[in-house]
Amino acid sequence: MSLRTSISPPAVAQPPIQDAPSRHHMWQKISPYIYVGPAVIYLIIFMIIPVVQGIQLSFTKTPLVRPDGGTGVGLENYAKLLGSPQFYNSLGATVLYTAATVLFAVVIGTGSALLLNRAFKGRTVMRAIITFPWAVPTVATALIFGWIFNRSDGVLNEVVGVMGIGQQGWLVDPKFGMAAVVLTSVWKVMPLVMLVVLASLQSIPTELYEATRMDGAGALETFRAVTWPHIAPTVRVVTLLMTIWSIRRFEIIYLLTGGGPVDSTNTLVVNVYRQAFSNQELGRAAAIGALGLVLSLLVTVVYFIMERRTAAKEA
Amino acid sequence: MAKLSLRNISKRFGDTKVIHDFSAEVDNGEFLVLLGASGSGKSTLLRIIAGLTDATAGDVIFDNLRVNRQSPRERDVAFVFQSYALYPHLTVRENIAFPLALDKFKGWHHIPGISTIARRVFGSSKDIAKQVSGVSAMLELDQYADRKPGGLSGGQRQRVALARALIRNPSMFLLDEPLSNLDAKLRAELRGEIVRLHRLTGKTFVYVTHDQVEAMTMATQIVILHNGVVQQHATPQEIYTRPANTYVARFIGSPPMNLMAAAVVDGQPVVGGLTLAAPDGPGVGQPRLGDGGVTVGVRPEHLSVTVDGGRQGLPGTVRRIEDLGADTLIGVQPDPALDLKTWELNRDELIWIRQAGQSRLMAGDACTVVPEPGKASYFDSTTGENLAPAGRNSDAGAVPLGA
Repeated sequence: MSLRTSISPPAVAQPPIQDAPSRHHMWQKISPYIYVGPAVIYLIIFMIIPVVQGIQLSFTKTPLVRPDGGTGVGLENYAKLLGSPQFYNSLGATVLYTAATVLFAVVIGTGSALLLNRAFKGRTVMRAIITFPWAVPTVATALIFGWIFNRSDGVLNEVVGVMGIGQQGWLVDPKFGMAAVVLTSVWKVMPLVMLVVLASLQSIPTELYEATRMDGAGALETFRAVTWPHIAPTVRVVTLLMTIWSIRRFEIIYLLTGGGPVDSTNTLVVNVYRQAFSNQELGRAAAIGALGLVLSLLVTVVYFIMERRTAAKEA
Repeated sequence: MAKLSLRNISKRFGDTKVIHDFSAEVDNGEFLVLLGASGSGKSTLLRIIAGLTDATAGDVIFDNLRVNRQSPRERDVAFVFQSYALYPHLTVRENIAFPLALDKFKGWHHIPGISTIARRVFGSSKDIAKQVSGVSAMLELDQYADRKPGGLSGGQRQRVALARALIRNPSMFLLDEPLSNLDAKLRAELRGEIVRLHRLTGKTFVYVTHDQVEAMTMATQIVILHNGVVQQHATPQEIYTRPANTYVARFIGSPPMNLMAAAVVDGQPVVGGLTLAAPDGPGVGQPRLGDGGVTVGVRPEHLSVTVDGGRQGLPGTVRRIEDLGADTLIGVQPDPALDLKTWELNRDELIWIRQAGQSRLMAGDACTVVPEPGKASYFDSTTGENLAPAGRNSDAGAVPLGA
């Protein structure tokens, strides 16, 4: 130590160290707010304010013709809803519709993705054909399926007629209404599931498949050891999205059945529309909407809890 | 235990031929390195041996059985991938046990529910657990057994991949650039590890790499491939001392062999006015020098450099000094008046000299390059073939090894 001190130059009083002025530093501090600003403003104007207003509305009795002139009724709308069998019927229809649509869309979509991930002739054409429904406008989809399901001259009745089954009222018979709506919805949304899962499948390194070949794994073992663990997170996310979108879906259901037959497809969203514009009860409609929001939030919360558990298990 | 024979293997991808009529015999217990630049076909060849890729033509023979039609698993070989190819959602222990657990899996175990129970049972099976812990201990993986591959470093992952290969006790190990994704220190460490495993198992190893250091330090036999064609198949020593052609001469060695155009006058090679002595190295035959020109090759360590203008040698100017600590590399630009034509053969126009210790030379110094007598190689100036007869053990592929 003493040696080092002796050869180091004598200490000179150094000026204190200061930060050099930096525009870059300022910019780094404020730029994040500038980037997220537009999105936040958009969310506030088009999401937060309407939601808050909708919840306010749900505590009033407001006729459609005088949207500004509501009278406060407290929790009356909610009390009426929770006491009415029609609301529970609507809730049940929503759950049934969502569960069926999500199940079929995810299973069929994932299955098609697995098939289309293999190399075969005409694969690109097949992918294009299967993706096509996603590109068709929703209203057009509903109208086309409306014709297909038409009682007197729909294609479906032609086909079942050939098979010896009598004509059915696909959209007017309470036995079939929900099935018809689910079928149409699955046809429309399944391609998205397929595309997303396919993208995830294509990101699996080929070496992993080769490793299972070296280890002598069969198709099912390979699926379980390599494919499924890779695509599972994607399938979970797409299931969440499908669920939220199904809870909110309106056009297909309303245009096909209008909530009928006998309220069998009267999901919460269709119910909101009917309360607001047929019964002209904005307050009641808003209350249904608020409960629907709670349902969507519940699904999301359950999803995030599940994700956290999986992440904890992975670590 | 298997002796590997590759007979007339060819492989095309569409119109691109990546392997041309490759033949080689590898004795049981050899450590064969397939060495080549990227695109040389070495990995394709390894995948053909493994059964991951089918050859367009030719036979893969283990002992006396043609295995062309067998699946990778049936061939009983293990494959180690450059990217490790570990199953990311399984722990280290499960990854290593995977091939063993598969052996016990039957078709009906796939029924949901039963599969979970079956996996539990195999996972906790005593003999599997014993084998896994044995192999983990061998590769010092014990303390990571319950981690997922994502929580391991590159070197640890490659150890897991080696363990997964080892546990099956295969007849042959195939390794596809297993160390390429690791840093230099880990590479050196795992090189030693792999050589140790080779000694321990006594099995045949076929190892693909583009790294000449790996090839020289690990191999018992090296095959050098260039554009799908075998350039030389020999021991590391022979490849270094008697490269079969100018490609091999330039590919092996760092810096590579210096190549210079030479005239032949009265049967003696003459480079830039300097008459070289005939080669006399042990095991190297007399080259057949024709009357035309030849290409002379001299390794950097067989040259010395001096500032003494009176010495017989090639005059030049020092251009580069690279001090490596133990050695110094000196790049000398030969006097342009000599018209040496090194530029046709070497990438830079410099002659490189390796000198032990430090050098007092500086860039710009005039100097003379003096070759060590009898240490030069001679190549046909048109075909690039080495003019000295090959050693007993080597040829471009066809001659059996270890005779």
